[in-house]
Amino acid sequence: MSTTEPLQVRELDVRPVLRAGEEPFQAIMDAVSTLEPGQSLRLIAPFRPVPLFSVMANRGFAASDRALGNGDWEVTFSPVAIAQDASEGLAIGSSPSAISWGPPIEELDLRDLDPPEPMVRILEALEDLQAGDVLFALLAREPVFLFPELAKREHEWAGNFDEAGATYRLLVRHGGGSAH
Amino acid sequence: MPMASLSRWTMSYFAAALAFLLAAEALIIAGVGYPGAGLLEPATLIVVHVVAIGWLSLAMAGALLQFVPVLVARPLAFPGLALPALLALLSGLLLLCTGFASLAGWIDWPVALMPLAAVTLLAGFLLLGLMLVATLLSARPVTLFARFVLVGLACLLATVLSGATFAAILSGSGGWLGEIALLPDGLPFHALLGFGGWLGLIAFGVSYRLLVMFMMAPEPPAGQVRLVLIFGSLGLGLALAGLLAPLTGLEIGAGFSVAPLAALALAGAFYGRDILALYRARRRKALEINMLASIPAFAALGIGLPLLPVATAAGAPDAWLASLTFLLAFGWLGGLTLAQLMKIVSFMTWLETYAPRLGRGPAPRVGDLVAMPRAGLWFTLYYAGVALGTVALAAGVATAFQYAMLPALFGTAGIAGELMRVRRLSEIKAEQRPPFHECPRLLLARAEERRQPHVDNRTAASPRA
Repeated sequence: MSTTEPLQVRELDVRPVLRAGEEPFQAIMDAVSTLEPGQSLRLIAPFRPVPLFSVMANRGFAASDRALGNGDWEVTFSPVAIAQDASEGLAIGSSPSAISWGPPIEELDLRDLDPPEPMVRILEALEDLQAGDVLFALLAREPVFLFPELAKREHEWAGNFDEAGATYRLLVRHGGGSAH
Repeated sequence: MPMASLSRWTMSYFAAALAFLLAAEALIIAGVGYPGAGLLEPATLIVVHVVAIGWLSLAMAGALLQFVPVLVARPLAFPGLALPALLALLSGLLLLCTGFASLAGWIDWPVALMPLAAVTLLAGFLLLGLMLVATLLSARPVTLFARFVLVGLACLLATVLSGATFAAILSGSGGWLGEIALLPDGLPFHALLGFGGWLGLIAFGVSYRLLVMFMMAPEPPAGQVRLVLIFGSLGLGLALAGLLAPLTGLEIGAGFSVAPLAALALAGAFYGRDILALYRARRRKALEINMLASIPAFAALGIGLPLLPVATAAGAPDAWLASLTFLLAFGWLGGLTLAQLMKIVSFMTWLETYAPRLGRGPAPRVGDLVAMPRAGLWFTLYYAGVALGTVALAAGVATAFQYAMLPALFGTAGIAGELMRVRRLSEIKAEQRPPFHECPRLLLARAEERRQPHVDNRTAASPRA
């Protein structure tokens, strides 16, 4: 699947911005918003940007930093792997960046539909969404025939069963692939 | 990754299976085999193996290649072996029938064909087993459903190995067995492991999952389902013991086969209770053709399975045992397979055709692919023939049995024709059909090539792709 390939770390050096007397925060946030799911950001700054750590943590990135010697710091913000915390137990194939997806803008309860109707509804709903939109669906079983179709249409997904094993919870993030 | 795709060769398995069922019915109508010949005569064994291997095993294999990956949410292991396995099974079965025909004296071919047939069949079933076992074990933990299939596959191995040994004996190359008399004492156990284990137990296990899905019924409690597996495995273990007993020099009485049959009947009783509960608790009230047409199959199981150990224990005449076995093979296993083929073929065809189009235009429902009520008429004919045939066999009227198979043959041909029409999207309005070059092919799913035509219209591939 596309997201399992290692992504190049994106690098942002804010030292020139600061030297020019400008505020780098917006540049950093712009860089973060253009990251591919799963991609990391390496930031180089003339000080240790402690306030940024909590901002990035809220967006699902963990920070690891090291001093470069001359007072400069290099911080790598990596997306938190899903399996590390609350979302442990996501089905294999789930997107590791799901933890940083925004709240779903559409929720579907498809538990009472027999196959393949849930697949039909989800794919229909996705056609009306925009890139980056997140859809949440409750299903009675793992939608194994849906996943290849999501991959083909370049949508990302993350899902698992609830504790009782009765309901499958699925998040799908629109990947921007356009309809015909 | 919990992705399932279409099994490429499943439709070819189904087509070959249906051809063998039609052939078996035609052979019976022509008077080949029991009751014209004895139960253990080569002519009967031809019909039995065309039904067991050609029809039921190939249909089961095709269905498992599609549904085992779906039910364990893992891709099929070694998918490239599906075609070699099919070819080995086909040629092995044809060789076996030729060997039996030589034994019957119909043709003058060397009986050395028998061991060759056995080796070819063994190779085919081993390839099939390798794909299925590797797929089942790639999903952890191993589920209850997977255990049904694993036990069934173990029975298949025992069936094929014992069959190969019989083939060696029959061809006169079984001298290495010495004084051990595996034939004919081992035959009931060979048949039990094949019909009861490989075909029966797996039909139990798979139907639990498919019925829950098709009827929107709540999952039956695992404890109850486990009972079916435990008693089924007990019965099959006893059958294996009966098969191997001559090797250990143990004397088992002639009535020993009652024990495995009784355990299997108990498993069948627990299974029947669960299936009844599934039908009653279903949330999808209107039954589709596959579930309607399965009801006579379950009825055949409910009549045939409890009576078989009773008849065996009571020393009933051959005619009764043959009648009950026919009812189970054609009524239960055959009827259930035909009924579910309707759903499996239409679902796979729908998925192959419409999954890439969903959300991007009108798509029919899966059920729209099947011509109703015409399909129901074919099933009525088929089951009427099976019911008449069962009675005719029990009554020992050979000609009545032959005539009884006529409606069954017409029904089967009708069902096969409907399945071809499903593949050709014959029931779908022209505007909902894809362009001709993207229509499903009769025997081969566009499994891998489904990708290309629909990732078009993208100006540039995304950097992640």
